[in-house]
Amino acid sequence: MKFMFHSLKQAMANLLRNKMVNALCLGIIAFTLLVPGIFNYISFNLERYISKLSENVEAIFYIKDDSDSAAIEKLLQHIQANLLVKEAGFISKDQAKTNFSGEFPELKYILAEFNDSPFPASIDVKFLADARNLIQIESFIRDINKVSFVESVQLNLDWARKIALIKKFASFVGLFLSAILLIVSIFIIFNVVKINIFYRRDEINILRLVGASDWYIKTPFLIEGCVLGFLGGLLACVLLLLTIKAFPLYAEFVFNIVKQLIDFKLLPQKIFWQLLITGTAIGLFSSFISLRRFIKITPD
Amino acid sequence: MIQFFHVSKQYFGNEALRDLNLAIGRGEFVFLTGASGAGKSTLLKLIYKEEEPSKGQILIDSVNSTLIPANKLFKLRRQIGIVFQDFKLLMNRTVHENVAIPLLVRGEKQADVEKKVNNALALVGLTFRKRYLTAHISGGEQQRVAIARAIIGNPKILIADEPTGNLDTNLSIEIIKIFERINANGITTIIATHDLNLISLFPRRIIKLDKGQLIQDKKIEANQ
Repeated sequence: MKFMFHSLKQAMANLLRNKMVNALCLGIIAFTLLVPGIFNYISFNLERYISKLSENVEAIFYIKDDSDSAAIEKLLQHIQANLLVKEAGFISKDQAKTNFSGEFPELKYILAEFNDSPFPASIDVKFLADARNLIQIESFIRDINKVSFVESVQLNLDWARKIALIKKFASFVGLFLSAILLIVSIFIIFNVVKINIFYRRDEINILRLVGASDWYIKTPFLIEGCVLGFLGGLLACVLLLLTIKAFPLYAEFVFNIVKQLIDFKLLPQKIFWQLLITGTAIGLFSSFISLRRFIKITPD
Repeated sequence: MIQFFHVSKQYFGNEALRDLNLAIGRGEFVFLTGASGAGKSTLLKLIYKEEEPSKGQILIDSVNSTLIPANKLFKLRRQIGIVFQDFKLLMNRTVHENVAIPLLVRGEKQADVEKKVNNALALVGLTFRKRYLTAHISGGEQQRVAIARAIIGNPKILIADEPTGNLDTNLSIEIIKIFERINANGITTIIATHDLNLISLFPRRIIKLDKGQLIQDKKIEANQ
């Protein structure tokens, strides 16, 4: 307890001693964390939007005329058994004609020209709403489409597919920028701790020689790194909130359509936790490697 | 207490100590002497494991110090009080704060720290400077602060590297007398000095080094 109090006191003294350097460091960490925070936020909202689009994913498999009804029944059962499928039903040629008449009564007269139904029989499938299933759904549809008596398939997944692609791109750019900024951030904290070690080198040397344990010497620096990282994360959270508040105003001018399509307002709490935890972890790691590099405990 | 077995130390090919065999018993008072570069400081550093021997073994209180792992080194150093040639004091801290450091790193209670600091400062005659900034006291007083810090942890061994190097004769004698008082409590005391005049005033065991080799080890009796 006393040891922790000493370490905390020492860490705070270090932080307050080099105010300018630490403030600069905080700003850089905050910016470093803000970038992945924004991309994470965009990615989260796009995913949510894809989920919304996916709620109505439907496919219609048109069946060739004169197909074997037993084979159709078997295919229907196969489709219904799939975990991605919410519901599936067979629409016969006559039923399709009836449905058309019901939906477009003003066009009934056209159908009167035909003795038989001009519409093909089909199996209509509604899928479960889950953005993560899109790839599986597409793969499933491709498999069904290969069945010999399936004429063609009609699918309303194009939008979702495009958004998913944008999301993937955003995630990739976010990850790439985050990786670069992460290295920058580690480098900055590493050097801040190095400066503080240098500033306190005489004291560290004395502590070492009068019998201070490794952890007694190192813990204040580790705490300092953690505090810097945590505060950087906190600042990044504030900046992220401000950015999100400002984004709708910006979007209104620049891309009104996108703004109408996607409601960029939802900010999941987990992003805040991620920023705080990542910041603290970066701080701890950077100060740890700085200590390993610059504090000499063992003899030559 | 302290045993050196065929100890050699090399720095980049230069031999600072060569095949040294030495034994210092518990409670002994020893002057370590020799010209500059004779190897005195190296020998002391090997005792408190600031340096590792290139060859040989060193036993401190029957423990082979070369085998002590880095994370247990502090245990050895808590048994040894060191007075450095350059004092190694924190000039922006008070005398009290400097002396208290060895106790604080051990996590001792504040009340005990207070009591022990007072006792240590009384022993070196510096109680009246307790609240002074170390930068604001004289060189001789700083020397005594360094001694107080070295003994406050109740070490088994006290090492002093040229403790009178910057002091006049009277002050030097006073400092050695303080060491004698400390030694009287059973603390093994090793003082490195090149001041032969000073040594002649205190009839004690003298170990003389020259170019890293032991060339003299004798005990001077009081009437000599």
